[in-house]
Amino acid sequence: MGSNTTEAHPIIANRIKKAAKSGLKVIVIDPRKIDMVKIAHRHLQINVGTDIALINSFIHVILKEGLYDPLFIEQFTLDFEKLEKRVELYTPEYAASITGLEAKDIVETAREYAGSSGSMIAYTLGITEHHCGVNNVFDIANLSLLTGNIGKQGTGIMPLRGQNNVQGAGDMGCLPNQLAGAMSLTNDEFRTRYEKEWNVVLNPQAGDTQTRTFDRLEMGELKALYIIGENPLLADVHMNHTKTLFEKLDLLIVQDIFLTETAKMADVVLPAKSWGEVEGTYTNTDRRIQRVRKAVEAHPNIKEDWEILCELSTLMGYPMHYNNSEEIWDEVRRIAWEMYGGISYERLENEYSIHYPCPDEKHPGTYIMHERFHQTEPLDKKSPFVPVDYTAPLELPDEEFPFMLTTGRRYESYNTHSQTRHYAAGVKIKQTEETVDIHPDDAKALGISDGEIVQVRSRRGELEVKAKITEQVVPGLVFMSFHWSETPTNVLTLNEYDPISGTAEYKACAVSISKIS
Amino acid sequence: MGEPNFVKTICGYCGTGCGLVLEVQDNKIMKIRGDKEAPVNKGQTCVKGAFAYEYVHAKNRLSSPLIKKAGKLVEATWDEAYRFIADNLSAIKTNWGSNAISMFACARSTNESNYITQKFMRTVINSNNIDGCNRT
Repeated sequence: MGSNTTEAHPIIANRIKKAAKSGLKVIVIDPRKIDMVKIAHRHLQINVGTDIALINSFIHVILKEGLYDPLFIEQFTLDFEKLEKRVELYTPEYAASITGLEAKDIVETAREYAGSSGSMIAYTLGITEHHCGVNNVFDIANLSLLTGNIGKQGTGIMPLRGQNNVQGAGDMGCLPNQLAGAMSLTNDEFRTRYEKEWNVVLNPQAGDTQTRTFDRLEMGELKALYIIGENPLLADVHMNHTKTLFEKLDLLIVQDIFLTETAKMADVVLPAKSWGEVEGTYTNTDRRIQRVRKAVEAHPNIKEDWEILCELSTLMGYPMHYNNSEEIWDEVRRIAWEMYGGISYERLENEYSIHYPCPDEKHPGTYIMHERFHQTEPLDKKSPFVPVDYTAPLELPDEEFPFMLTTGRRYESYNTHSQTRHYAAGVKIKQTEETVDIHPDDAKALGISDGEIVQVRSRRGELEVKAKITEQVVPGLVFMSFHWSETPTNVLTLNEYDPISGTAEYKACAVSISKIS
Repeated sequence: MGEPNFVKTICGYCGTGCGLVLEVQDNKIMKIRGDKEAPVNKGQTCVKGAFAYEYVHAKNRLSSPLIKKAGKLVEATWDEAYRFIADNLSAIKTNWGSNAISMFACARSTNESNYITQKFMRTVINSNNIDGCNRT
């Protein structure tokens, strides 16, 4: 669901395609006719942002046809009645009217998902980058829990992570409410554990998310921002607004490998070592810890992220000294031993990768999570369903802005493109600039030909870009990526956020497209 | 030209975690292939993992701290940059409190660097205003 796997996670796509050849049934749920559709048994080409209507309808069908195990519900779950009540409205016909699908396809898919010996849902930002992103994820969990598709091989929910170490960065405590080892900051026991190790009194108040940071910046409450290896000016929604906010800061510190668009706005820029120049570990999308190794020596005047922070910390009165990354990792292992105690560099050298949690050296690592759902003895803590309702995207097409714009990645490029600008010589790149992908019918109606430069406008900004005529999108829907600073797509996107996660609605905003006379 | 050596590592792009083998010669990455022993990709790579590595050696990599003076970023020593940051952060902390300072961590950096990043924020600044690109 909402994963253009071939382009954003090509190797995972290869493995899914291989499995499809040996009989795996793949159902693609995506507003675009993406490459994965070629190997799919069915493509549910839903309207952008209508996922909850669809999932609630799956649940409706599964309940109505009794395609679940009442004993499992009784033993392991809570609030089943609330779920029943909430999805009552979502008949296949009603969901069809919202999603643009055929009712019979919804029914068939529900039967297949519930009826197979094991079903897994893989999703990406097509699910989360909505004002209702958290509810979308809750509903996927509802569906998976209802059918017992969790906690055993070949089942579960698989969020495909977009950055090499986005999982690890959060796990290491780079979140406003969490300490390293996924320990809640508001838990006194965990906080005390860190206070003893670090010899400080910690602030017990959860901090600000990025989204909240921008809000407080707007209110004038935030004075300094320290950004490491990120280019939010180009990557975040409503770019013109982001720029104005950054101008309000008294101090902007940027630590990066390139002078990015964000770095150019900084008061001070620190040059950091990159991938290929550092030692350490990454945590991948399925919780594998793996070793990252230095291949080349960096420029002598460049320092590693942790080295910079240790030196600055020491200067500011809290001395931090480590001789190498292994010493840091061993500190993490000591404090957050439940998760990482057994994952030494030495073991990683021999075993290649280990899945956390892995509390001690003899523990093999945890390949499958949530196996408790299949044990025979009763659980101490049952899992509640969290019923949710469908809410339409916050900005729908209208007369002035008649197209829905959805955004995502393209195969050869990565995020704001500061790295993928530099391909090895001789590699033939298919897409070297941004395009607005538009359906042939819409192009025809507007009198636009393939490759023609057009104007795209939203309530927040406008830009000029080449049109690419393709049946990958449906009429009324257009697609752009955010890879090229020459065509900053995020001047168009909408600054509306999920109230819980703070994730922005990158996947849906209204735009107009016109010829340049 | 020196003899090539081979270094095993993990790809730095998406979250799949593919194992790669880097062919290195004279302090330059010359070629990348998928690591057949890697459990995730078993030797496969995508176009980014195999070919989009020249950025490491790009001429426009930052190689000196920069401080903005009269609206322009100019080269500075590490000592100057550290002093500039320490003075300004301390002043902001004293005048406005630790809640006036925020940090965005890097989802591309190692676990070890990320651990130190949040440790810096929580110990030196005494603030939990730290987040990554998880939401974007």
